[in-house]
Formats: sequence, structure tokens, C-alpha cells
Amino acid sequence: MREVFLSPWERHGLMDAEVLVQAPVPHVLEKVLGVEPQAQSKAAAFTKAFLKNSIQHPARHDLKSMLTRKAVILGYIRPKKEKTKRNSKKAKGLNARQKKAMKIFQLKPEHQRYELFLPLQELWRQYIIELCSGLKPTSSPQFVQQKLLKADLHGAILTVVRSKCPSYVGTTGILVQEFKHVFKIITKEDKLKVIPKRNSVFAVEINGFVSHIFGSKFEQRASERSAKKFKVRGTIDL
Amino acid sequence: MSADLDRTPRNLLLCDRSSLLDQKNRLSAQVQQLHFGYKVSVLLPECSSAPSHLDSVLSSFSSFYLIRKLPIYELLDSDFLQKAVYPGGVYGLSYKTRIDEDNCVALMPNGRLCLSLDKDSFEVLGFEGKPSRFNHRSRSRFVVSVDLTDNNVAPGGRGYLRLVTGLKSRLHLQTDFLLSHHPGGGACLQPLLSRYDWSEHTPEVSRCHLTHLSCPAPRSCDPHSLLDWLGAVDAGVSREDSSSSFLSSLACPDPKTTLGGALRVSVCGLLLPPDVQRLIQELRRYLEQPLLESWVSLTVHGFMDSPVSWGDGEHGVLRGGENFYNLLMFQDHTYQLHLATGAHDTCPP
Repeated sequence: MREVFLSPWERHGLMDAEVLVQAPVPHVLEKVLGVEPQAQSKAAAFTKAFLKNSIQHPARHDLKSMLTRKAVILGYIRPKKEKTKRNSKKAKGLNARQKKAMKIFQLKPEHQRYELFLPLQELWRQYIIELCSGLKPTSSPQFVQQKLLKADLHGAILTVVRSKCPSYVGTTGILVQEFKHVFKIITKEDKLKVIPKRNSVFAVEINGFVSHIFGSKFEQRASERSAKKFKVRGTIDL
Repeated sequence: MSADLDRTPRNLLLCDRSSLLDQKNRLSAQVQQLHFGYKVSVLLPECSSAPSHLDSVLSSFSSFYLIRKLPIYELLDSDFLQKAVYPGGVYGLSYKTRIDEDNCVALMPNGRLCLSLDKDSFEVLGFEGKPSRFNHRSRSRFVVSVDLTDNNVAPGGRGYLRLVTGLKSRLHLQTDFLLSHHPGGGACLQPLLSRYDWSEHTPEVSRCHLTHLSCPAPRSCDPHSLLDWLGAVDAGVSREDSSSSFLSSLACPDPKTTLGGALRVSVCGLLLPPDVQRLIQELRRYLEQPLLESWVSLTVHGFMDSPVSWGDGEHGVLRGGENFYNLLMFQDHTYQLHLATGAHDTCPP
């Protein structure tokens, strides 16, 4: 009686065995075993009749369909799907390496012209005037200073007034990009200058109010600075 | 108390002995290097009155000009540079500025402009300079030294423009200024002077006759006590040997002789090395005649508040800003030269 559950490999082996079962008895063994070989068709008919008599016939099951060999998969390997977590990172998407490779924060040389940024400067002036609710000559410098500390400085005209490094002193220009530790300024000669914030004092001028910013205390990203509280100190030595 | 005494600030005394007849003597080079002399005092032992030729030399020291509130960028005026600085011989020093508190300026005859600035002024000026050699931990003083004859600072160039804009628009440096020119005649200085409030001064000469002076033997005395004694004579300190004296216990070093009299002459002002050279030659001539005492002493004091002392060396004041030299000349053309500086100074040549 053959087992119904066969693995694909065993199936192949048993096919040979089946052939062997139904193979005619070799002549050599006829005399030894004392049997008479039957013709193939007779042998098939005999096997079927024998099986039918031997097996029980429960009414419920259809034996014939049960006995036909079916391939049953024992186990299977699911093809691995990409984890969906990786795609749902922050909305910014790019990490620092990709940003550098794509050079999205670098100005192309044809864009590095002072005239191109003058409209930005105008916009910034209006933004600040609006922020300080109309910059009258009578408004207190304290109030203007408080507003400037939280304001965004892109587009302002910055001048380096004092610096521990003498070669930075005197550079003036429109602020193009503000990073965590550095200001990028475009000067009138169309040069893009990178000035570190540390150890320098910058002057921002708006409508006659000149505000001096100590760069060492300003080393945060522009977006984070709006939430930061600044301590009042008497004087700061560079 | 004793810890303080252990760490007294150093002073440096350089002693040189040679002869004026020796070819290799460095006297004139050493004298030439103290650019700004404040006071020259001469001690002539056993002399009642100075001979006339000596007097005439003492009176003919070059006159100098005092300009009130000179903005320093005027020293970089191209006209002034062409006429005065490039040919050489212009000596300038800021007046009444203290070296450890304010900003000081010196203009040397070889065309070097030296600015000694405090930290804030240096940070505002924006021209390259070095921190002073004499502040060790906190950098509070910076020295900007510019060679005006150099091509980098030629008028119209970038370096020149940077320095001029720095002095004009960023740091408004303005001091009283003493100005002098060696080969006499302020003709090349006139254009600068005419723009500001100036006055001309001649060095002040004062004479004093001393009597009954006990004096040490100059050749054998050790330099420190000799200089002490000379300083006491110069300052008019009495040197009686009484131990009960409260004011001074300075005594004349042994072995001593008593002089009948001596003449002390001092000249005060902005004194230039070429004039001092002439005085030394004159004293040599004076020594050639037969004298009772065969020596003469000449002391030249530099300015306490000058940013440079010898050559281009930096000068500072710790407890006293002395930089002076003393020349003892003898009848046989030998001399002893003592160069002395205080704590914040470079070594004399």
C-alpha cells in the first residue's frame, strides 16, 4: 500500500518502483519463485480488482479522487516584500550626503550677482518694518532689538564690525544663506563670502536703527533661533 | 610678602667695554638704534663751566614739533609719504599716550610705522597684526607693524587702502604727536603741519653745578652701583652716609674720592640719535685736553611710553618702562657702555 503523501522527490523515485511492480518477472526468477508471468493488461486488471476488494469503501469519501496523487506543498518561501517603514521617514527626505551630492544649497556662479538679491533686500526691509509695526524714529531700540532677535535675517545687509580675525572686518553684503555656524554673504563685487559667526560682531541696519549682533551667541539654525530666549548680558568680550 | 619678592620683574643690563680707536666697535650702531631719546644728561667732573663748543652742541639739538590731535591716517597721506617718509629721517612718536593703557604710535626713520593697540581697537581696525610678546595668558595688546616703504603698502594698493580705510572710517585713531626730522628743516613736514594745530619746541637745556661730590672710581666700580650712583647724582639725591637718614640710604660706592665740583647738564625733549652722535664726538674732543678727572659720563634715556625701544624691538611697561644707556668715556679713548632695560623689553643690541 503506497502512502498518499509524497514529496516531489519521492514521487520520482516511486515512479521507478511502480514500473518495477508492474514489470514482468524476469525469466530467471520464474522457476525460482514458481510463478507464471502474466501479460501486462491482465496484470493491471488483476491489481485493480485486488485493490477494490481489499480497501474499505466508506460512503462519504470519494476514494478514487483521494487516491489520485495530488501534489501537496509542504512548505513554501514567500518572496520578501520591502518594509514600508523606510519610506515613511520625515517629509524632508534627504540626508546630508544626498544633499551634498545634489548641491541644492549651493548657488551657481551665474546666480551669484549682487543685483539679483536687491529685490530680496527690499522684501526683507518691508518684512521688518511690518514686524516692528512701522519703524518710527520714536520707537524704542529695545523693542526693535527684541523683534530682530527672533526675525529671519535672509536678505539683510550685514557688516562685520569687529572680529578676532582682522581680515573679516569691513566685509559688507546681503545675507544669502544662514547656516548653523556660518553666514553666506554676497558682496557688491559679486563675491560670495562665507563668514563664520564665532568671534565676530555683525551690524544690521534698518531705517537708521543699527543693531550689533554678537555672532558667538547666534550659533543656531535660523529656524531654531525663533524659539530661543536670549540672556541679557552687560558686555561681551570677543 | 616673600612670594612677591621672589618674583621681582627682571631687568637687563648689558655691559660693553671697548675703545673708540678700535675699528670694530659697535658704539655708533648701538647709539643709532635708540630712535627716540627723551633725556640726555652729561656729568663732567671737576668742571666749573662747560667749554663753549660743548655748549654750542648742546644747544643745537634739532627742534621738534608737537601736533595736537593728529589723526593717524594723515601719516599715510601719499604726499607726506613721498616727501618725508621715503627719503628717510622722519621720527614720530605719539605723546601723552600710555603704553599699557592707550593706543600708541611710532614712526621710525627707516619708514616703519608701529601701532601698539589694545584689544578693542585692534579688533575694530581690521589690519593684520600680532599679539604683543608681553601678554602671556590674556591677549590684551596687539602690535601692528607696517613697513611703509614696502610694495604691499604702496599708495593705491590694496594693503594701503585697507589700512587707510581702517584708520579713517573704522578706528578713528587720533593722538597728540611729536614729529621731528633729522637733516634739519621742517620743510618736508610743513604740508602736514599746516593742516593741524602745531607748535615748535627746542630741547630744554638745564645746567647744575654740584659741589663736594663723593665719587667712585669709575673703572673699578661694578656697573650696578655705578649706575645707582649716577642716577642719584642726576636726580639730586643726597648721598650722605648717615645711617640715621630716613629719606635715603644710598651711599657712594667705595673706593671713593671727593670732587671739588662737577657740572651736570641735561637736555630734555625728542632727541635724535644723530645729535647724540655729535655730542659724543664733541665730548671726545673735550677729553683730549688735559683734565683733572679723566672721565665723562653721558646717559641717554628713552621714552617710557614708546612702543619700540631698540631698533624694532617691542617695548612695554611692567613696573617701570626704563630703557636707557650710559656711556663712560675715558681720556685714552676707551669707553664703557651700559645698556639697561626693564621687564617688558627685548634685549638691547
